[in-house]
Amino acid sequence: MKTTAMLAAAALLGAALAGPAVAQDQPVTITWQMWGSDQNDIAAWQHLADMVSEAHPEITVQLQTTPWNDYWTKLPVLAASGQLGDIVAMQSLRMPNFYSLLEPLDERISADGFDIDAFDASIIGGMSNDGVVYGLPYDVGPWMMFYNKDKFEEAGLALPQPGWTLDEFKQAAVALTGDGGFGFGVVPNGYSIFAAALGADYINEEGQLDLTSTSALAAADEFLGLVTREKVAPLVAPGASPGDIIAGRFESGNIAMMVDGPWSLISKRDTVQFEMGLAPLPRGEGDLKAVTAGSGFGISTSSQNKDAAWKAIQVITGPEALKYLAEAGRALPARKAEQTYWFDVAAAGVEGAREALEYSLSHSATYEITSNWNAVENLFTQYYPLAMTGSQSPEQTMQTIQSLAQSQ
Amino acid sequence: MTETVSTREATMAPPRRRNRMSAQEARTALVFLLPSLLGFIAFMLFPIIASLAISFTNWQLISAPSFVGFANYQRLFTLDPAFYTVLGNTLFFTLEYLVLNIVLSLGLAVWISSLKRGQRWFRVIFFLPTFTPAIAASVVWLLIFTPGGFMDTVFQTLALHVPNLLLDPKLAMQAVIIVTLWANVGYNMVLFNAALDLVPQSYLEAAKIDGASAWDRFWKIRLPLISPTVFFGTVMTAITSLQVFDQIYVVTRGGPGSATATLGFAIYQNGFGNYQMGYASALAWVMFIIIMALTALQFWLQRKWVHYDS
Repeated sequence: MKTTAMLAAAALLGAALAGPAVAQDQPVTITWQMWGSDQNDIAAWQHLADMVSEAHPEITVQLQTTPWNDYWTKLPVLAASGQLGDIVAMQSLRMPNFYSLLEPLDERISADGFDIDAFDASIIGGMSNDGVVYGLPYDVGPWMMFYNKDKFEEAGLALPQPGWTLDEFKQAAVALTGDGGFGFGVVPNGYSIFAAALGADYINEEGQLDLTSTSALAAADEFLGLVTREKVAPLVAPGASPGDIIAGRFESGNIAMMVDGPWSLISKRDTVQFEMGLAPLPRGEGDLKAVTAGSGFGISTSSQNKDAAWKAIQVITGPEALKYLAEAGRALPARKAEQTYWFDVAAAGVEGAREALEYSLSHSATYEITSNWNAVENLFTQYYPLAMTGSQSPEQTMQTIQSLAQSQ
Repeated sequence: MTETVSTREATMAPPRRRNRMSAQEARTALVFLLPSLLGFIAFMLFPIIASLAISFTNWQLISAPSFVGFANYQRLFTLDPAFYTVLGNTLFFTLEYLVLNIVLSLGLAVWISSLKRGQRWFRVIFFLPTFTPAIAASVVWLLIFTPGGFMDTVFQTLALHVPNLLLDPKLAMQAVIIVTLWANVGYNMVLFNAALDLVPQSYLEAAKIDGASAWDRFWKIRLPLISPTVFFGTVMTAITSLQVFDQIYVVTRGGPGSATATLGFAIYQNGFGNYQMGYASALAWVMFIIIMALTALQFWLQRKWVHYDS
């Protein structure tokens, strides 16, 4: 009995010792948790997964996609049940919530002499928490105004130029509204992006949510006023993804302007039947503050194949991969050198894309959020329709959201 | 009577033999029950006990849970500004939906059973939505109700000033009730229809000869005879309507404001929107107790109106 046990132990030890040496070139399959529901998107991610196997034949990357909204429900559940994949896609806005699921990368970066400076600095910041890098970014981008160029021309309007103001935006929206069509689409949880562009403070100096500050309320009044006063944007119901409904109406030509980021350019450009243009967001009295977001990939702390995952994320955020994503229009590369491909190929035929983007990036600002931002966004979706129909004043609605967000 | 006699015979049988028999029978029964029992333990009992344990912690999914005693329950009943609204919404939905569902499905069942031909076709047609995935059906309804959608267009064409259901806090729940009725009325309809078909024709003919009107025959013969089935339908419908979630998740997301936030939706929102598993579990237990209490109440009330003497 004892001998058997000892033999078994010795065999195990032997296996353990031999393990790493053999594992170097042994085939390994790693999983990649990614969002996406669009066929174009999934095909692009699959192409990246295949690039990993080309560069490292021993690594097979298994792609697992979940639609964007559900991804953030699924992620903590997978983590809690120990089933998180090896590579985890992470958005900069969600990093404060989820960095603890990811492996700090600083040591690997310095050990390999990995050139982190090739990336846009602001998005490396977005992929970090407390100065520690948790992911390599693949894209970066400010929210911008997507517009229907045909509609502007039909209405005889000058195309929006970088530096345009809120008043110019409202005038254009009014002129574009009529015949069942709307100038703009208000998506409730886009409030903070709109407010930031106008220079409003919805987060106080301590980093706490402050939706009832004077400037935050003024921005809410402007934003909701587009629906209630100017009537240039349609009412949206609080149901599933008002953003998708607005995007659908923009793509079908019913809404002339909407706020979105460079990451949406591919699906939009391929879907719409009209000529599309890009402009920065309108500014308020002062300079524009264009908030940015971006996404990247980290290594799960529970991964059994961290070395392989590290190799893989270097490939899928590498110059080749980002060039591919840029040319496909999927993402504005987080690597500065590759951004040119996005301008030359993906943004080709999109009016004003380069100017809008360069202007926005030169006025870029950190997107300030709280750690329960997911809950705050849900509250906007749930409560803003009350203010859009006039059941409540913008001020009352902002107070409700503020108090509910604090109680959570 | 026969039942009483056989019971007495059983008591008079030698106790040892009976014990051995029942022990053997119990073993056989256990073997047959095992597959379902294992499933029940793994997928029902264990999660239920786990959720009770979780309701006393502040588990946030990605952080380690720590014990907080009754803090979640305390917050629920005294601090959460939304809880009583949610509770009220749930009860309002259950009451209105339950009444409408039973009345509609019973009406349909009686109508179909009175048809000379095509009974089977109508049964299938009304049963179809029951096996349509709730989410898919709700998405279609969302597109119908959405501002500027099909329903608004219809009302505009008819020059009727009906406010959009999804935007009016007073009407939003009606949208959810319409979707739920459409999806589920067929189930009770089939149940009631089958029960109606089992009512002996001789009773109805006898009553007819005695001069009972159709109205009387329904209230005094058919309804009492199918009352056990109606009771079953009522209990099951009440339980599922207290748990309503799918339609709300797709059609209204609890809004506008908190007009359609029900317990089921609040559990989802706290658990998977805000990642507060402990608090969501406490809510789930409150829902469990409410369902238990209401079901017990219904069983108590059934003595007044359910007839088992057929």
